[in-house]
Amino acid sequence: MDAFLQKLQDSDFGVWVSSAPTLLAYPTILMLHTVGLALVVGPIAVLSLRLLGVGARMPISIFRNVFAIMWWGFLLNAATGIALFISEAAEKGEQVDFYVKLTLIALALFTATRMKRLVFAGRDDTTVDRAVPPKARSLAVASLLLWAGAITAGRLMAYLK
Amino acid sequence: MFLPFASWLHKTSISVAFQHQVAWLWPTCETLHFAGLALLLGVAGMFDLRLLGFMKRVPISVVKEFMPWALVGFTLNLLTGMIFIISEPAQYFGNPTWWLKVTFLIIAGANALVFETTYGRRAAALPVGEETPVPLKIIAGVSLVSWLGVLWAGRMLPFLGAGVGAGL
Repeated sequence: MDAFLQKLQDSDFGVWVSSAPTLLAYPTILMLHTVGLALVVGPIAVLSLRLLGVGARMPISIFRNVFAIMWWGFLLNAATGIALFISEAAEKGEQVDFYVKLTLIALALFTATRMKRLVFAGRDDTTVDRAVPPKARSLAVASLLLWAGAITAGRLMAYLK
Repeated sequence: MFLPFASWLHKTSISVAFQHQVAWLWPTCETLHFAGLALLLGVAGMFDLRLLGFMKRVPISVVKEFMPWALVGFTLNLLTGMIFIISEPAQYFGNPTWWLKVTFLIIAGANALVFETTYGRRAAALPVGEETPVPLKIIAGVSLVSWLGVLWAGRMLPFLGAGVGAGL
């Protein structure tokens, strides 16, 4: 495993990401990873707040397509995340915090799919807007906490060994 | 002109206190800064999309009910940002990319002020389903571009124009 991660990091692509003398390599990839974070977490956070009662006049059915934005953001962050990982595979692959981050993201995405199924799937707009299923509130809380946790674990990757 | 100020600030007791706590203070503030960013862009982005003509069946005044949460995100980022600046002033004042970030922030703020003082009421009164007037669309576009500019410059400042690269 160690040898494989080291090989990944020393690959042409890994070296290009980490040390190409251009802002388009590591800096831009990292910046896009932050744009992706906003695309994933922003819309889901707004929906979660709505499910918890913020902006109660806002019809919940308007959020039906929020999951598409989330998945586009996720695609961006999976791509940029893989590139960033390859560039530091030997260090990050050994980091417990990195696997904590991946786990929290997986749980947060799972929570989002549960939310979509519970609140939107097979229900027309009128039904969706009539009432929030009680269980949706727990999913909203879980989603906010899990994304906050994923952001924390992600940020700590720059600090923990 | 700002560097003497930076070195004065660096020696103040509050800055020194922050510097001593950097090991936990910095990662904590960074985490909050990123969470605040997601909240601010999520809520403000939704409002801008409404002004651009998406979600026309919802009154603008209703979408605006989420704005206090954008303000929560902004306040969080202003406070944590000030902690970064106070603890390492030269790293920011001496970096042109940070000034670019401040410029984008000023544009975003001025744009929001223009909205509140000139078009806010008209926007709130806009009937559901109606096309938003061009000035409102321009305000929404400026808002989206300037907040993305803030993010871009903020993320680039350790790499572009910086001598020091703490907190990559």
